[in-house]
Amino acid sequence: MTDTDWSSYSLSDFLMFGPEVFLRLFVRINQDLWPWQGLAIVMMVLIAALLVRGDTMAKRGVLLLLALAWMWSGAGFLMAYYGPINTPADWFGWAFILQAALLTVAALVWPWDGTCVAPESRWKAGVGWFALTALLPLLVVGQSGNWKAVALFGVTPDLTVAASIPCMLLLPRRVRWLFLLLPLLWALFSAATLWTLGTRLMVLLPAATLVLTVAGFWFSPRPVQNRG
Amino acid sequence: MATRFTRRKFLAGLAATGLSLRMPVLVAAPGEKAITRAIPSSGESLPVIGMGTWRTFNVGGDRHLVGERTDVLKTFFELGGSLVDSSPMYGSADDVMGEALERLDAHDRVFAANKIWTRDGDATREQDRASRRKWGIERFDLQQVHNLLAWEAHLDTLKRMKADGDIRYLGITTSHGRRHGEFARIMEQEPLDFVQLTYNVLDREAEQRLLPLARERGIAVIVNRPFQGGRLFRRYQSEPLPAWAPEAGCSNWAEFFLKFIVSHPAVTCAIPATTRVEHMKENMGALYGTLPDEQQRRQMADYVAGL
Repeated sequence: MTDTDWSSYSLSDFLMFGPEVFLRLFVRINQDLWPWQGLAIVMMVLIAALLVRGDTMAKRGVLLLLALAWMWSGAGFLMAYYGPINTPADWFGWAFILQAALLTVAALVWPWDGTCVAPESRWKAGVGWFALTALLPLLVVGQSGNWKAVALFGVTPDLTVAASIPCMLLLPRRVRWLFLLLPLLWALFSAATLWTLGTRLMVLLPAATLVLTVAGFWFSPRPVQNRG
Repeated sequence: MATRFTRRKFLAGLAATGLSLRMPVLVAAPGEKAITRAIPSSGESLPVIGMGTWRTFNVGGDRHLVGERTDVLKTFFELGGSLVDSSPMYGSADDVMGEALERLDAHDRVFAANKIWTRDGDATREQDRASRRKWGIERFDLQQVHNLLAWEAHLDTLKRMKADGDIRYLGITTSHGRRHGEFARIMEQEPLDFVQLTYNVLDREAEQRLLPLARERGIAVIVNRPFQGGRLFRRYQSEPLPAWAPEAGCSNWAEFFLKFIVSHPAVTCAIPATTRVEHMKENMGALYGTLPDEQQRRQMADYVAGL
């Protein structure tokens, strides 16, 4: 073997923990947060309701709640729980906080033009988003075989990122890419980690994020009226 | 049946635990003596089975898992183990080891081995100090340059630290069969007490040059990845042990893999890592009984290759 044979390295050489420790992170944060997970559920309901409403104030509200979710999962799960066993998670924690700041700026400062999609589409968006956010956590339960490991939106990063992408369609396409970069990076990092850990069912989470992110770069909801 | 737990019982239990830690062989295997090897540079004896912490002790702030790892370490000591190896590279492993040692009050029971893992050649003492603080010990018995990272600068400092009595032994490490050429050159030129490398029943490249060189130069050898990071079990555990395994001193696959390694005359100890007490007990079985001879070692390698 040569002295610089990088081909001898595999992803598993860079992972310093096993699946047991990783899956326990979800159990631990749920135990420590209990019963405040209720706030995450309230947040989900609020976002779904605001997506159905769909006016300018509702858009600002959705982005502010997303900011809160990114802040919470970054400072909580990534920095306080995941970071001590995986240093890059700590770096992502800071990036999540930066993303939260960006979302806050977009919510409060962006000059929204009042475009709105058709009521039927808004209902579909709200209900579809809620269904996605309620069903994706079951992947972690399925992987761990433990209900206490349920991964909630606003608490754990994969759920927060996956559920945020559809909401980011609210942003004009010319600035949306700025908000999709971190989800793309996170999804790649998370997919590589989960694949290497052998938690293959959970890989569907970042896979869903990747698909949604790529779609998010191109797709925009069609406006039907201008209330501006 | 509930038993009243009094202060007297608590203190008696504590004393018994402490006693068992200091009389490991009596607790583990009455009448049997642990297999040991001498460190060539000092003559000090080491049990041939040590303990690694890669991936297993990096559990962060998980109190439940810290408790489980403490039980693994307790079993290791009770069954006669001594050398524990870690690295700043392994996330929170140093912190968890420090807490486990504290809980077991076993700081004077451990042969503490750690590594310097930083590109900054001036940070040797600083990293050693940080690791010592986490382990809660005054000095490491062995400090090694991890994967030859900035090895010249670190080794120079480690030599001075050894001369000053800040460490007892120094060494270098590699794994996965990497950089064996450079590794051998350092072994030829530097006054090393220890080397750490990968060697197991399938990864046998070290037999060609590094192990003979270690014998020739009087360097102790620590063997990492004795189970190929668990792959050997996944691949062979469903297969039967050969009928002659008991003659080679092996009653399960863990003993088979470990005794193949530690029966090499150049090897001082192997450092398997585990998260489970029952696996630790199996691993420590390789510390007792007979070791395979040269002919049996060939048989063992041929048997595995033929599966």
